[in-house]
Amino acid sequence: MNRALTVARLQFVAWPSVVGWPWGILALSFLINLALFAAMQGDPNVQPTTGGLASIYVVMFIACINTITQDFPFALGLGVSRRSFYLGNVLQFAAQAIGYAAVLYLLAVVEEATDGWGIQLRFFGLPYLWVENPVLRFLGFALPFLLLGFIGIAIALVFKRWGANGMLTLSAAALVVIGGLATLVTWQGWWSAIGGWFADQSGAALLVGWPALLTLPLAAVSYLVIRRATP
Amino acid sequence: MSPAVTVTDLTKRYRGVTALDRVSFSLTENRIYGLLGRNGAGKTTLMQILTAQGFATSGEVTVFGQQPYENEQVLSRVCFIKESQTYPSNLRVHHVLRAARLVHPGWDEKLAQQLVDDFRLPPQRNVRKLSRGMLSSLGIVVGLASRAPLTFFDEPYLGLDAVARQIFYDHLLADYTEHPRTIVLSTHLIDEVSDLIEHVLLIDQGRLLLDAEAETLRGQVVTVSGPVAAVDEFARTGAELHRVLLGATARATVRGDFGPAVHDQARSLGLGLEASSLQELVVRLTTNSNAPAPGADSAGAASKEAVR
Repeated sequence: MNRALTVARLQFVAWPSVVGWPWGILALSFLINLALFAAMQGDPNVQPTTGGLASIYVVMFIACINTITQDFPFALGLGVSRRSFYLGNVLQFAAQAIGYAAVLYLLAVVEEATDGWGIQLRFFGLPYLWVENPVLRFLGFALPFLLLGFIGIAIALVFKRWGANGMLTLSAAALVVIGGLATLVTWQGWWSAIGGWFADQSGAALLVGWPALLTLPLAAVSYLVIRRATP
Repeated sequence: MSPAVTVTDLTKRYRGVTALDRVSFSLTENRIYGLLGRNGAGKTTLMQILTAQGFATSGEVTVFGQQPYENEQVLSRVCFIKESQTYPSNLRVHHVLRAARLVHPGWDEKLAQQLVDDFRLPPQRNVRKLSRGMLSSLGIVVGLASRAPLTFFDEPYLGLDAVARQIFYDHLLADYTEHPRTIVLSTHLIDEVSDLIEHVLLIDQGRLLLDAEAETLRGQVVTVSGPVAAVDEFARTGAELHRVLLGATARATVRGDFGPAVHDQARSLGLGLEASSLQELVVRLTTNSNAPAPGADSAGAASKEAVR
């Protein structure tokens, strides 16, 4: 466990860039949206709701891929076991997810209090994925980080362990499965039923429940893959 | 002394290629080993398996008496500096040193700073913007300052100029004298390190050709030159590794146990006798072993000289 903590600290040695990228990109996205919708003030048809919040999740997704392609060979080269690397990496990433979710939650509260930064802008709070319970709302910010992060870790590990052939196999398999399902659904005329199912899910289920259910098996499989991966 | 490393029947096969072929040896604690061999001989593969970064196909490896794989107790005492080490793109030189300090319990920060100065490394520069030589220097700083009880240097000086290499050798020897530990130096520049190495391991095409004390080897190989007939006679006292013919005179490299009597014999035959360097021995042994190996790509380009 000590070594896992060491790995977690090791990944923060250049912390300004670790923290700077996600928040820098998010700030940029926010400012552009703010300027854009401020300029469109007065147009009654405009509903200032944006998906700009996704930028921080995308940056963290990419950061997770980098931890496997870049930090993993470095840490192993320094003399860390795969188990310690994995635990430490999960630890530092979970800490970031929790911390960032807390900040996003606060920003969403401020957004409501200021009536959308004075221009009814919905940037941090998403109206169509509304969660009332404060704990669930906090988790609704945190869990998507974890799900995307572990998807990134799992994909990068497939590349690390099985190389380009592994990636091609994975892509081919994904194509067959997704394409096959789409064909099946279209053929059976299930699209409206699926749309209805999604519409029936609460915001909490979509942001917390399902991501948690998907994250756990991904984390377990990633651990098994990394144990035989070479740097 | 207890062995730092024992390797038994270690074999590593990639698809169709045997990188290591039933290699067995052991390393005693607190000595400097030279791991020698040509490109692709299997040196890096061997060190990767010893540090649990690679996986063996078969065979046993123990480091400090234990399996190294996923063994934190072993891994925290091992440092492996390899030429191909990559670094995360957001790290600067001082970040890498701080990371190494976190991981290695025996880290000496003062030594690290001294080495950074001696190698003129820019602490604020991003590692991806370092020149090849600077990258090698950074590896050397980490390897020496880690003070790991078992340290591997795999071609540590790629791109380093002669001055920097001398700085490395000097620091290595000085620090080793003060803080004895087991050091494995894999290198092509055999002449440069031959005074440093206490024990030689020579690998060629995945097989261990030589596992001997450097001191013993030094007297074992001689180059003898003179009339062909006399050289022929002398060569019978040992194993001839190599020969160059120049008209009626020959020059042969011979390996054997050469006492003073043999030296007298050479003189009476009118032969010139000189001790061969470690490098020459390695060159002769590895070019020799190429010939009988099946499928070896020993193109005649390597030497147009008459071998045997």
